[in-house]
Amino acid sequence: MSTTEAAPAADSGVKSGSSLRGGIDVYKLLGASITFIAFLVVFLIYTIWLGGKFTSTDARALDIHQNTPVLLLGLAVLVTLIAGQFDLSVASMATLSAFLVVGLKLNQDWPFALVLIACFAVGVAGGALNGFLVVKLRVNTFIATLGTGGVFLGFSAVYSKGTQIVAGAGQAELPSWFSGANSLGSLGEKFPAVLVWIGLAAAAVMVFLTLRRMRPAATEPRRWDLISAAIVVVIAAILFVLGLSDWVNAISWTIGVLLIVALAVWLLLDYTTFGRYLRATGSNAQAATLAGVNPGKETFKAFVLGGVLAALAGIILGANQGTASPGAATSFLLPAFAAAFLSTVILSTGRFHVWGTLIGGTFLVWVSQGLIVGGVPFTWTEVVNGLVLILAVAFSSVFKRRMT
Amino acid sequence: MDATRGTTGSGPGRREVADGSPGIEPAKDIVIAGLRKSFGSNEVLVGIDLTIRGGDFVGLMGPNGAGKSTLIKILDGVYDRSSGEIQYGGEKVSKLGERPEVGFIHQDLGLVDELSISDNLRLGQEPMRRFGPFVDRGREREAAVRALNNIGLELPVETLIGALSPGEKTLVAIARVLERGARVIFVDEATSTLPPADSHRLIEALKRTAARGATVIMVSHKLSEILDATNRVVLLLDGKIVADSPAASLDRGALVEMLVTREKEEVESEDLTNARAAVEGKELLRLEQVKGGHIDGVDLTLKGGEVVGLTGLPGSGLHDLAHLAHGTMKARGGKVVRAAGVTSALVPPHRETQGGFLEQSTLENLTISSLSRWRAPWRLLRGGAERRDTNEMIERLNITPGDPGAVFGTLSGGNKQKVVFGRTLLCAPQVYVLCEPTRGVDVGTRMEIYKLIEELAAGGAGVLVVTSDSEDLFAVCNRIAVVVDGRLGAFLEAEETNPQELEAFI
Ligand SMILES: Nc1ncnc2c1ncn2[C@@H]1O[C@H](COP(=O)(O)OP(=O)(O)O)[C@@H](O)[C@H]1O
Ligand SMILES: [Mg+2]
Repeated sequence: MSTTEAAPAADSGVKSGSSLRGGIDVYKLLGASITFIAFLVVFLIYTIWLGGKFTSTDARALDIHQNTPVLLLGLAVLVTLIAGQFDLSVASMATLSAFLVVGLKLNQDWPFALVLIACFAVGVAGGALNGFLVVKLRVNTFIATLGTGGVFLGFSAVYSKGTQIVAGAGQAELPSWFSGANSLGSLGEKFPAVLVWIGLAAAAVMVFLTLRRMRPAATEPRRWDLISAAIVVVIAAILFVLGLSDWVNAISWTIGVLLIVALAVWLLLDYTTFGRYLRATGSNAQAATLAGVNPGKETFKAFVLGGVLAALAGIILGANQGTASPGAATSFLLPAFAAAFLSTVILSTGRFHVWGTLIGGTFLVWVSQGLIVGGVPFTWTEVVNGLVLILAVAFSSVFKRRMT
Repeated sequence: MDATRGTTGSGPGRREVADGSPGIEPAKDIVIAGLRKSFGSNEVLVGIDLTIRGGDFVGLMGPNGAGKSTLIKILDGVYDRSSGEIQYGGEKVSKLGERPEVGFIHQDLGLVDELSISDNLRLGQEPMRRFGPFVDRGREREAAVRALNNIGLELPVETLIGALSPGEKTLVAIARVLERGARVIFVDEATSTLPPADSHRLIEALKRTAARGATVIMVSHKLSEILDATNRVVLLLDGKIVADSPAASLDRGALVEMLVTREKEEVESEDLTNARAAVEGKELLRLEQVKGGHIDGVDLTLKGGEVVGLTGLPGSGLHDLAHLAHGTMKARGGKVVRAAGVTSALVPPHRETQGGFLEQSTLENLTISSLSRWRAPWRLLRGGAERRDTNEMIERLNITPGDPGAVFGTLSGGNKQKVVFGRTLLCAPQVYVLCEPTRGVDVGTRMEIYKLIEELAAGGAGVLVVTSDSEDLFAVCNRIAVVVDGRLGAFLEAEETNPQELEAFI
């Protein structure tokens, strides 16, 4: 067995030949989209089972509309998770903000612009408090945000004396553009379709450019450009067949705001120096420091941003409901975290991502709504949420281990 | 099998026949047949056939990224294999891990920083009980002390792993494996991170174990170790075994020839003749009686165009000095003076824990320190330009895989090193502080890195090479000094000294 063989001349010195620069890796692609596909299969089953009751664009858009505060909280949780921190206080912040936006107007009759500024100021202050505790005092992030969450919720109870705040006779009213029929908070008031179309066109161009970059070395550029364009056109065609234009027309102002905010957060996280520093911080704070990043500063900013997004979630909740009730957003914490964690397995391999969070949060609602439409009592929602999160993450872990 | 036994009597570093301990049964044979492994579409192992007889001491060599660690991880069961067969003692098995008699020491050690040495030694094993559920701390302590003595490590067993130097950690990992009575030991580049004295201890410990009839499979880039300890050398290239020879039939020259056909001339210049003459340049950095960490009053100047080498034992404060020079450690006393506008960049000493962002891409790892180069208004990044510069750097350093989106954590050790190195190059600073620049890289890459350092100096930068590898010092440095107990010894001109003389100072 111990014989000497000369190294084949052709192989010596050639470094691993399988490093196609920018080639498409089918397995990687499949690994990133398998959970997404699994969800689609579930929805296909629902469609066969429930038909039009499930596929109704209006009903599903309503789900998203009502779920917008949760998705915004998902984004709030996302930015801190990227920094490697758990912000458990976001739901309480949203509740507090919902009380402030409704209460400061109805009870104190502040000018509404001032009310909004106050809400965001409270979001910034709350986030800064979390950041201060975690970064400066080095309190464990769970304990710090669990504590501040209690404080925020407590303040909302103190402010409202523990009761609901509703509009009453002789009281000030919320601005008509903000809440009520045909307002920001209503499903009926639609977001300008033009803007959505522009956004979709931009997305199509992005997809095309991304595909273009993945050209396998063996294909010539012109040909690959055509293939990329064809892929984009086919995807667009499929979406149109599935009722894309109905969807564009079903987007309410609430959802529109969500999309704009998501766009901003996405740009911030993926296309700015801040986003890079934040991801480096969350990945390995020590390495980040040695590479010239200031993890404390970036973490602090992430908490502040999380506080602002949570405050916005509360404002939208106030707009949707027109009232504020104790602990209104408390039950949003689990689905918000679930959405953020789903983003690591939806169209992604282990990376927290803005669009994955929106898609994950939305799919989560649809899975339980489908069951409710099918006759399962709505009280099962939380059970379903928990199970879907665990299943989705476990499923993609198993798949990843299989494939690699 | 007896035939193999017969041949084991002749090589260098030969084991004496089992030193009168007849109770120990010989290690079982391992047969690997047609083993393949792909990560996605990347074929890393393309059909490995290898028979390891009980008692073999195999040196597994090959360039970074050849698939050595992957092979060992498959045998351990960390990864599933794509196809092929593994037999252990004639039985088909799916993996060798999780048997007390087979021990694995991976490139990343798998020790728990927050636990003590003694707890780490017992980790994953049944605790020794006094009665009922109560752990017999005393007996565990004794066992730990014995295990440490076995490999010649003199440390209190209560020490937390986190407080140890990389060398000591590796020795603890070995002690853990031996403590469990391993008869087959896989060691993946354990000595890459060790200073010479610790490497020596480790090799001796392995030789002693082999002398008792155990099988050892050791990955290493260090030719002298391989020649000293092993009795069989297996060479892996691009996921295939391309050579398999008895060590006795090889000398240094033959081994080099086996390793690098193409880069042969370059590798021969490894014989430490590259030392550079003194240069006169503008002063970039000056340390005046600097104190901080273990460093207790050091004076040092670095001029443009100069490569200054610093060495010393772990615990001497060597790495603290690097951090003080770079600015990641604040000086407790004294002054660190930089010439106006001088910036510095650092390759950190502990690549495994401080080097990079494992789940992020090569691109993100390369550009993190120099993002302002691609900054557009609103702090947005000019992605196209960033990608272009990244591709250039990948090409320049020959990083594999060459995909800027590849996940950093999946790169082989040497390529990780190149990425961390490339990060400092992209900063284009005037001062480079390079800690252990060639740790864990293969022979060819080592030469590339030396060439790069010389280019940097030729371009007017000042380079501080902080290393425990004396080869680095003599290959690229103008001046060399030794750090002992937080103080800097006299500088030696690299041209006028030699490794033996230097060792006397350490
Ligand atoms: N988990 C992984 N996922 C994808 N690729 C991997 C993974 N682990 C290793 N590789 C790739 O396999 C090749 C061999 O790596 P490795 O076995 O670490 O090399 P070495 O011989 O230097 O130990 C490298 O190209 C590396 O990028
Ligand atoms: Mg390796």
